[in-house]
Amino acid sequence: MLWRALSRILASAATLLIVIALSFFLMRLAPGGPFDSERPLDPEIAKNLRHIYRLDLPLGRQFLVYLQSLACGDFGPSLHWRDFSVNELFAHALPISMRLGAEAMTAALVIGGTLGVVGAAAKPGWRATLGAFAVDAAALIGVLLPPFVVAPLLQLFFGLTLHALPVGGWNEGAWRNQILPAATLALPQIAIIARLMQASLRDALKEPHMRTLRAFGLPPWRITAHAIRAAILAVVSYLGLAAANVLTGSVVVETIFGIPGMGRYFVDGALGRDYTLVMGTVVVVAALVIFFNLLVDLTYAWLDPRIADAEGR
Amino acid sequence: MSDALASLYPGPGASKRVPISLALLALIALACVLGPMVSPHPYDRVYPDYVFADPSLAPHPTAGEAKGAIEDIARRMGASIASLRQDRRALNVTLIGERPIDARDLRVFERSDVFAAPRVEASEGEGRRLTLDIPLQRNLFLFGTDANGRDLLTRTLIAGRVSLAVGLLASFVAIVIGVAYGAIAGFAGGGVDAVMMRIVEILYALPFIFFVIVLVMVFGRNFALIFVAIGAVEWLDMARLARGQTLSLKQREYVVAARALGVTPAAIIWRHILPNASGPIIAFLTLLAPRAILLESLISFLGLGVEEPLSSWGVLIADGARNIQGAIHLLIVPAAFLGATLAALQSLGQGLQQSFAEGFGGRAPNQPAPPE
Repeated sequence: MLWRALSRILASAATLLIVIALSFFLMRLAPGGPFDSERPLDPEIAKNLRHIYRLDLPLGRQFLVYLQSLACGDFGPSLHWRDFSVNELFAHALPISMRLGAEAMTAALVIGGTLGVVGAAAKPGWRATLGAFAVDAAALIGVLLPPFVVAPLLQLFFGLTLHALPVGGWNEGAWRNQILPAATLALPQIAIIARLMQASLRDALKEPHMRTLRAFGLPPWRITAHAIRAAILAVVSYLGLAAANVLTGSVVVETIFGIPGMGRYFVDGALGRDYTLVMGTVVVVAALVIFFNLLVDLTYAWLDPRIADAEGR
Repeated sequence: MSDALASLYPGPGASKRVPISLALLALIALACVLGPMVSPHPYDRVYPDYVFADPSLAPHPTAGEAKGAIEDIARRMGASIASLRQDRRALNVTLIGERPIDARDLRVFERSDVFAAPRVEASEGEGRRLTLDIPLQRNLFLFGTDANGRDLLTRTLIAGRVSLAVGLLASFVAIVIGVAYGAIAGFAGGGVDAVMMRIVEILYALPFIFFVIVLVMVFGRNFALIFVAIGAVEWLDMARLARGQTLSLKQREYVVAARALGVTPAAIIWRHILPNASGPIIAFLTLLAPRAILLESLISFLGLGVEEPLSSWGVLIADGARNIQGAIHLLIVPAAFLGATLAALQSLGQGLQQSFAEGFGGRAPNQPAPPE
């Protein structure tokens, strides 16, 4: 178990390093620079600017300097928002994105999980039919309506027609402003989690030991509870990917709803060729996803001891 | 997002879904390829008189629009309307001007999108009282027009060409990379295989849209780059599939025989393994294509994808999202085309995969693999 954890942590660190290197060198291959504008800068000024931002060093040195400052937790100055450092921007943006993401994931787990359980475990009858139908409908909507279609529709319906919720903005995190973005982020995840839960719970309920429990005369809800413990593994193993998906979704959602989070800074940075900001976002997002995967990996081994045993041989 | 697609596994009746979804896809593809050629409206033709026209089966101008247009023109001529008769094909109007109306002024009618060249029926007082017979143009905008007065149907079909092309080409790129990678890993086996697949597993966890956007931002927004970038990040599943196929195929007698005869590994992969693995690979292509289309739409939606005059469904949806109040058809029409295409491809891929899985008695490759 310890060995497994250690090797996973090392692999995660190596992955992060590769991601940083990859995006760094990609960025420096780019034609055109952050100081290009309609009017060419005076050569002296351009030289000074390049010196201040360390763009005049050889490429390898630049990378080392960047790694060094990253290690100290410094993402450097933003090239687009001239008076801000990337750290200052992230200090505002990261909590907002994390909060939205956490809300969306919680909603997806609760709603998707419930739908899946109802779809798989309810007795044949209207409840089971309704549950299975809801799961199918959620999955179908997940395919047919990508978030960038769902979000404007939600804005139109709840914001412009019903006047119930604001169509955008963050408003210092007022709960009314969070509902629509979190719902947009959660919808595709609800579909996937419901599907996964339904499928794996159906399989789990067919296991011989469930038949034994039934033979003992346990009430159905207790049998289901036992089966859920086994079935939840499939959902846990999906959570790593879900984190990546939610972060991807946040790019769209934050852009549409005008929320000053990581995703929005990423898009704005990409449009404005803000190297340090985009690099910083990629690094933070990759680190988050890698960390979350590591967590899921270790949790999984803890939940299902067979895996740890199989590797510990 | 792409995993929302993957989570739909084939339900009962998958075999029926294959022909239905194939037909739907063929319909969409044909419409996108041929539609703009037969459409009466060029995709970049601007009709300033019909901005934000609603979708309708009735041709423009409507009676109200024609009346409004003639009043507008009369006002600009400094004339007033003495009498106005109107039927479906033409407009009969008598104008009274303070000054004589010059025949050259009548060109205004030809330049508008509502009228054709007028015929002067009667002219009194050196053109102060002018009776005109003005034929109406008939423009049909089935799905309405956009903010610039361009026909939405034609634009959607043109955009569909780009979206479908990206889907096809990006999947092709992904297949080339993925199959090469997977076949090499599977054929080499042992430590090479373990390392190569471990790399795939690590890459799997990364949010790739960020890399695609970085690529697009770094190398500029051109069409070729977009599908290459998407293909370059969508090959992972294909590598897994190709590896699995290679692993099972390389045990077959004919491969062992080829090896005994001294055929090089590259030739064995090319001549024996790939042709036999092509079925499931092609089935998987139909699952890759919707992901690529979705990814391209997403990038274009963010304003980082294809640029005018090219457009894709993502560009149109972004356009619709901006004009959602008052002109919702701008969002609905491209979204419907996108959704129908995604659903058809998805359903086709699952149907095909299921038939392959049943045919070979194996597991459908898109079912969630057990972790580790």
